Amino acid sequence: MKMNSTEQWNYTSQQEPRGYIQPQSLEELWFHTGTNCNLRCPFCLEGSKPGDNRIEFLTLADAQRFIDEALLLGVKKFSFTGGEPFVNPEFIPILAAALAHHPCLLLTNATEPLMNQMGAILPLLEQPNSLNFRVSLDHPDPAKHDESRGKGNFRKALDTLGRLHREGFGVSIARHMLPGEDSVAVDQDYAPYFETARVPADLTIIKFPEFHLPGSLPQVAEITETCMTQYLSAERRAAFMCNYSKMIVKKNGQCGVYACTLVDDVDNYDLGKTLHEAMEQRVMLGHHRCYSCFAGGASCSEGS
Amino acid sequence: MSSLTVRNVIFRTDELFELQLERGTLQFEPGSCMALFSDSTESRPYSIAAGTGDEILRFLVRRVADGTVSHWLAQRKQGDKVQVSAPFGWFRPGAATGSRSVFIATGTGIAPFLSYLRSNPSCTPELCLYGVRRLVEAFNLEELQRIENFSLALSQEETNDHFYGRVTGLLEQIPFSDDIHYYLCGLDTMIDETSAWLENHGVAYTQIHREIFFYEDEQH
Repeated sequence: MKMNSTEQWNYTSQQEPRGYIQPQSLEELWFHTGTNCNLRCPFCLEGSKPGDNRIEFLTLADAQRFIDEALLLGVKKFSFTGGEPFVNPEFIPILAAALAHHPCLLLTNATEPLMNQMGAILPLLEQPNSLNFRVSLDHPDPAKHDESRGKGNFRKALDTLGRLHREGFGVSIARHMLPGEDSVAVDQDYAPYFETARVPADLTIIKFPEFHLPGSLPQVAEITETCMTQYLSAERRAAFMCNYSKMIVKKNGQCGVYACTLVDDVDNYDLGKTLHEAMEQRVMLGHHRCYSCFAGGASCSEGS
Repeated sequence: MSSLTVRNVIFRTDELFELQLERGTLQFEPGSCMALFSDSTESRPYSIAAGTGDEILRFLVRRVADGTVSHWLAQRKQGDKVQVSAPFGWFRPGAATGSRSVFIATGTGIAPFLSYLRSNPSCTPELCLYGVRRLVEAFNLEELQRIENFSLALSQEETNDHFYGRVTGLLEQIPFSDDIHYYLCGLDTMIDETSAWLENHGVAYTQIHREIFFYEDEQH
């Protein structure tokens, strides 16, 4: 998807100055491992599926270059998303390269690609930094999870979550957040499954609102400069992911630095070929997913 | 995405066939699959059954009810074009270094094992168990019977030569050793039952590798 002109990009449809974030520091660097995935979930915000290459597999050489540059910028954490990262044939070496420097977080569906490589994953416990797996368990109802992710995949993901925890890795889960839900009650509905998997009852649960498919244009309120200063405190503005993180995305054989994890379907958010260049760029809040950050403080990050 | 030319479509039964595509310059490993596309741009992943040194790609396909892609592939003729993704995969039979292997497959789940055997003719598994419903559904039986420890299970047909029952009825043949990795491919119920059986017999879960092709409730 392309936004047409700078004018359109810098102003809302009502010709008001568009809200923006001027990045302050690089604390977390995300890597997109590729949109190839073993599952084909109809809601996937990345449009990932088996064989997909809208975003190509990241290689170890690609990742190493940005790890090295991020270290110069004082990065504190590396995080990984896909697709399913373990479908990428170079993912475990990439993870090892990142873990040599800082704690890492990865998002996974915790099914066969991960399960089949557990023998190669366990040695990562010997790395000097911690590794946290965020496993997708969309609903506390296995049937609803499996409706989109495929039969038996809730049970597999739960089983893998438990094994990862018992082996000594950090774990958390990600779930869907439905409009108007009683979030505390929904979180509590996971309790019997956590008990089955023998993971802590107070496991971190990250909730994601509906982000829509890549390239879609749902009608959401536009964010103006006034919105950012009138409705949000300086602390809330600083909590926008694009203020303190970036994501590396590989398309057409080239890596680009994107503003955050949710906007790789819009070319305007490709902020440059280096992190130094990208950190200088003002991030205009023109993507429909920016509204989720504005309204709800959505973030893909979590404390390490 | 690229496009490959159909070499042949060979039916074993009304619903089971081997799709052969010209390979071109594609590189792959045993266990790799490729997304094959129909003309409606729907795609499904299929495991490559060919050896890494073969000049054609072979895919074992089961035409499933309401399966847009499998129905479209079944209608291809020699010379037609099929859109394909690059090879990829996470199920690698025999890939654990310095280890021995046991292969267990049902139906078209034999494809990655055929790819391994054709790519590594001097490396044979400790045991290969293969389950299908009827004898006619067994792909490449003569080739598989050259493996010293090979057994075929027929769940819906009695014969004098093969085990009558589900392949899980042959699990007692499985050898145990710390250096054996177990590769399971095919029907979900076979994989779940066999995985649990192996773990109950002390096999480390890191030595069990799985790939589900079909679900029990999809079977006719």
